[in-house]
Amino acid sequence: MKYITILLLCLLVSVPAALAQEITEDAVNQIAKRMYCPVCENIPLDACGTAACEDWREEIRLMLEAGMTEEEIRVDFVERFGDRVVGTPQNPVLRGLSLFTPWVLAGVVALVAMTTFARWGRRNQQVANVASQPDTTNDTQKDYRALLEQDLRGDVS
Amino acid sequence: MLAEIGLFALVATFCATLYSIFACVWGEQRNLPNLVLSGRNAAVFTFLSLTLATGVLLIALVTQQYQIHYIWSVSNPDMPMIYRVTALWGSQAGSLLFWSFLMSGFTAVAIWRNWNTNRRLMPYAIAYMMAVLAFFVGLSLFVENPFVRYWIVGGEVVQTTLIPAGANIPPYENLASSARGLNPLLRHFGMAIHPPLLYLGFVGFVIPFAFAMSALASGDLSSNWIKATRNWTLIAWLFLSLGLLLGGRWAYDVLGWGGYWGWDPVENAAFLPWLTGTAFLHSVMIQEKRGMLKLWNMFLVIGTFSAVIFGTFATRSGLIESVHSFARSGVGFPMFTFWAVLTIISLWLILWRNRRGELRDDREFINLMSRESLFVLNNVIFMALFLAIFWGSFGAPIISELFMGTEITLGVEYFAQVTTPMFFALYLLMGIAPLAAWGSISLPRLGRALLVPVALTVLTVIGFALAGMNSPGALLAYGVVSLGGYVALYETYRGAAARTKRGESPLVALGNLIKRNPRRYGGYLVHFGVTIIGIGVIGSTLYQQETQRTLAEGESLNIGNYELRYDRFDGGQVTQDGRIMDIANVTVIRNGREITTLRPRRDFFPTGQEGMNSMTIAGAHSTLENDFYVLLVAWEQIDQNTATFKVYVNPLINLVWWGGGILILGTIMTTWQTNVVPQRVRNPAYSGDRVRATA
Repeated sequence: MKYITILLLCLLVSVPAALAQEITEDAVNQIAKRMYCPVCENIPLDACGTAACEDWREEIRLMLEAGMTEEEIRVDFVERFGDRVVGTPQNPVLRGLSLFTPWVLAGVVALVAMTTFARWGRRNQQVANVASQPDTTNDTQKDYRALLEQDLRGDVS
Repeated sequence: MLAEIGLFALVATFCATLYSIFACVWGEQRNLPNLVLSGRNAAVFTFLSLTLATGVLLIALVTQQYQIHYIWSVSNPDMPMIYRVTALWGSQAGSLLFWSFLMSGFTAVAIWRNWNTNRRLMPYAIAYMMAVLAFFVGLSLFVENPFVRYWIVGGEVVQTTLIPAGANIPPYENLASSARGLNPLLRHFGMAIHPPLLYLGFVGFVIPFAFAMSALASGDLSSNWIKATRNWTLIAWLFLSLGLLLGGRWAYDVLGWGGYWGWDPVENAAFLPWLTGTAFLHSVMIQEKRGMLKLWNMFLVIGTFSAVIFGTFATRSGLIESVHSFARSGVGFPMFTFWAVLTIISLWLILWRNRRGELRDDREFINLMSRESLFVLNNVIFMALFLAIFWGSFGAPIISELFMGTEITLGVEYFAQVTTPMFFALYLLMGIAPLAAWGSISLPRLGRALLVPVALTVLTVIGFALAGMNSPGALLAYGVVSLGGYVALYETYRGAAARTKRGESPLVALGNLIKRNPRRYGGYLVHFGVTIIGIGVIGSTLYQQETQRTLAEGESLNIGNYELRYDRFDGGQVTQDGRIMDIANVTVIRNGREITTLRPRRDFFPTGQEGMNSMTIAGAHSTLENDFYVLLVAWEQIDQNTATFKVYVNPLINLVWWGGGILILGTIMTTWQTNVVPQRVRNPAYSGDRVRATA
């Protein structure tokens, strides 16, 4: 019985240690890579060399050891440091605004271009229509010439 | 005495710019050629006076005049000479002065080259150039003066430009021992040339901007202003491209994250004018050849310069914090005001001329399937990219903070998601547009022209798949990117092949082909360079491997089919410039064979009273296939027996640099002059040409 108890105690100590060893530096960096330093803005947390960032990466390791998921870790950092520690806003309105606005703007640019092309196309069609109409200027010129010649001869109608 | 000379030169420059503006505008308005001439001479004088001011600051750096605050803040006695020189642009005040110096040089050359050939445009062009220069010199004089000095007055240390009454000079030894030195991140060969090249790109766009504004002001809205500035635009674009490439290289070497482009707001601020500048370089061809898009080209050239000023404002004002924002001060408000005024005046002038009907196109767009239309589509995509990147870097964060009280960062995920489809579309267009004819082209004819390039693209994609890069997304990306390169190569081959049928050898045929039309074939080379860059970006982004491990001496880690063995640690190595280096010696092994040894390290720079700055220098083994890139990181305290390494394998990354080199070569080629008479002059009767009907 004594030996079974000792064996159980050893297992109880070794299992957490074994679990802790599974949290590799790569696992921590995988999460830190997608977050930003809360102090030095726009520097990824896995690349920041400050002592503070080392501490935050250690925090991530401890959170992973405690069984937290990546999403839970990100939420925790956002609650403490704000949205700027992650690459996309957490507020759904802000996230939608951020991601869709450039497409809306691009759509506006494309629409302006298409409208301009359509206008050019209509103008080309109008020019083509004018070109296809029968030319009456020659008849008019003939009548005018006849009248002029009549005047020059001194004929009075 | 040095500082007094520098200050006097700055004041003289400022006065000269103001006089030049008045003389050129008033003289042109009142038809007083001698007054205009004096304004021109004042503009040229600014180059001499700024050379003096900049030279003074440089001498002060080299001779270690620490009484001057700027010298004290960017230099120290231990710095090697090369970094004392590059410290000229190491912080705000010096970089602003350097910027002004470069702008005055460009202005002087532009005046020299154009005074006789573009006489009508010159007065207003000079006035606008001087207006921009006056602003920047004014910043140097009144906000960020590089000649501010330390004095002891009544037992206290003060900083003033002029000598206060009863002032004494602080002891040299005190100043020298407390001098800060250059930011360690800037002690890299890339930083010796990256800022000057970037500034040359930025200030280079002043010239086409000034000529465009002069065309609007003078009413000479023919293509004269474009012909006068075409090569300037190319040169500015060339330097901007070089600056961006070197900036990426610097980031790769010293920032320690294994990448070269992080969509940092300051990177994006330099990229934005590059986008509009590229769009302008394409659409200006339409105006030159077809007399179209006059209004749009005006918007583009002014928009490019506006983007330059906005980017400068964003970088220097602290508007957006960034690893690049090494210099921030009170220039924010003046710079924002200048940008706003400049943009509003420019837009007003464009709209005024357009309302008068003076920016009407000479010709119509006849067919959607034409080179002109595809160039317009090219511009649409560039504008979409511009808006997306501007929104992500500045728009969304500023609006979110101002109106919703939330600070946000739009990171790599946003930019990758939004810009990737746009870059795809751009690369696809790069493969199709060069094959389309001016005026119109039928789809079957376009299809026939694409046959060989598409076939080569398919073979390339198969090659990548066989090499193991076989994810569907990557293969599609390689295909789209490769098409443009093959079109460029194939068109060049066809041209040379046609000449060989006349008896020329292949090399002679190629040389004569390029000599006959350097713009076209230089452009093809640029496209080919862009293709190589794209392939490098895809490989290094999608297939990058990384790992981090703490190793004891003699221990190894595995990554991909490489093994890294930690051999020994050389700590506390002191260099001549006072740096302390901790160096790890590692061996790289592949397939059981040692291929190289690397020495990643951390450098520590003593900084007087403020302790130590540090920098991480990677060790890298570079081949065509990939970079094996090792960082010595501070994961835990580094001791003599264990060290923590972060290792990257970056496939195809060197194609980014080599592609950049090809792009630069192609751009230089496009600036070559040719004596060949263009076909439109030899044979004005183009097929499919239609001139606008008179109103």
